[in-house]
Amino acid sequence: MPTEGLTWVPSSWPVIICLHQSPVKLEELESDVDTLSEASRQALYLLFTGDPALWTIIGISFAVSLRAVIFAAPAALVCAFLLAYIQFPGRRLAITLFNTALSIPAVVVGLTLYMLLSRVGPLGDLKLLFTQDAMVIGQMILCFPILVAMGHAALQATDRRLWETALTLGATPIRAFLTVIHETRFGLTAALVAGFGRIIAEVGSSMMVGGNILNHTRNIPTAIALETSRGSFAQGIALGLVLLLLSLALNLTLSSIQGKGEVIP
Amino acid sequence: MTEMTLDPWLTLWKLSFSRGDRIILRDISLSIRPGDLTLLTGHNGAGKTTLLRILSGLLPPDYAELEYHGSKHPYDRQSRSFLRRNTCYLHQQPYLFDATVFDNIAYGLRRRGLCKQDITERIKTALQATDLEYLAQRHSHQLSGGEQQRVAMVRAWILSPQLMLLDEPVANMDKPSRRKGLSLINHMRRDGIAVILSSHDPQHGELEITRHLHLYQGSMAIKEQQELAPNPGIVTVNHRFPSP
Repeated sequence: MPTEGLTWVPSSWPVIICLHQSPVKLEELESDVDTLSEASRQALYLLFTGDPALWTIIGISFAVSLRAVIFAAPAALVCAFLLAYIQFPGRRLAITLFNTALSIPAVVVGLTLYMLLSRVGPLGDLKLLFTQDAMVIGQMILCFPILVAMGHAALQATDRRLWETALTLGATPIRAFLTVIHETRFGLTAALVAGFGRIIAEVGSSMMVGGNILNHTRNIPTAIALETSRGSFAQGIALGLVLLLLSLALNLTLSSIQGKGEVIP
Repeated sequence: MTEMTLDPWLTLWKLSFSRGDRIILRDISLSIRPGDLTLLTGHNGAGKTTLLRILSGLLPPDYAELEYHGSKHPYDRQSRSFLRRNTCYLHQQPYLFDATVFDNIAYGLRRRGLCKQDITERIKTALQATDLEYLAQRHSHQLSGGEQQRVAMVRAWILSPQLMLLDEPVANMDKPSRRKGLSLINHMRRDGIAVILSSHDPQHGELEITRHLHLYQGSMAIKEQQELAPNPGIVTVNHRFPSP
């Protein structure tokens, strides 16, 4: 059947290829479908020609994961700072718990959140299940321990004189905190990148609470999972390649920001 | 110094500090007047740095009372805030921010809300006065140890605090830098800033020292050298030495 050959891409793509009169011929797709290199080439072609279906999936992936990191980062930074700079009862235990939380499987977070958000769950009234907001919440829970653990490691390595110097030069504690963050920006950016890396590629939570709904909650990892379940391994890998390329672009942007900004806030 | 400056700006009463079982400072009282240049000596671990950090509001003691603005206050959050606003503590190895010398010196001025032009002019004047103008746009990582120390001194001096607390400020300097550093300290004193300078080396001939405090064997003992001081400032002398 001709349509079977089209399962190499997430379900809406072939339709859009036809509608947009893409130069990719259906016969070509069928003939090359089994080769990884060709699938990758096709995926990259769709990527760089601005294929709407692919870019919707990419857009959902990045919108959800960036929102999750941006929402989680402020509280995580404060937690990391408190763990590194303030002595309080239970501090060692808190550090151990955050380090342990690094190992939580994404699917467990997804399942727990699913139970909370489902209609019979305690948060069912919020009607968040199978929405991007639910995916954001799940990804926030997943990246928070990474941001705290890596942020704490970066801040713990800073010199205490930094904090004291800022204070003795007249900075308020909040301003001194911002100065410490600025001075530790390389380590903290690494924490953000690691946190983002963890959630942009996670399937379990997004699949459970997002539902993999096309044009709504389907992101790159859930699309890959779908392709794999259909036996289209090469296409899954091609989508993974797209994910890697876009992550590379994001990291290049971040590293260029890291190198700038000599003025102390 | 005029007679007006004889009133203590700050008096510290019954300061005690211990770390675990080890008593580091016990029952110290001293007053600080504008224009005092106090040399604080003692062996390694005698508590010099601890005393300076407590006076700067960076380290809370076990117990202390402070007298300022004409009344006594416990060493609480409010007093710490008062000390931080009015003192400047310089680490033995100062921390310079990851920025240019100019931005480092501007840090404290920016916190005081000065306008850009005012900040630039003040920094220019201060760097000229200390022969450090050539370093203005140099990144802090490119400075030698002595240069870092002098830049940090200028960064503190430009804020004109009431009390300057310098922890071994000339330890990393070669002879010419040391001379310039000591000259800057004298300059601070003449500006009416009270300076307490710690050192394990009592030989600071070029400094216009007005009194000499000595901490002994990690615990508390203050030796007064009134003959040094035109206006001696120590109000309490405590010669209790720790039992071995």
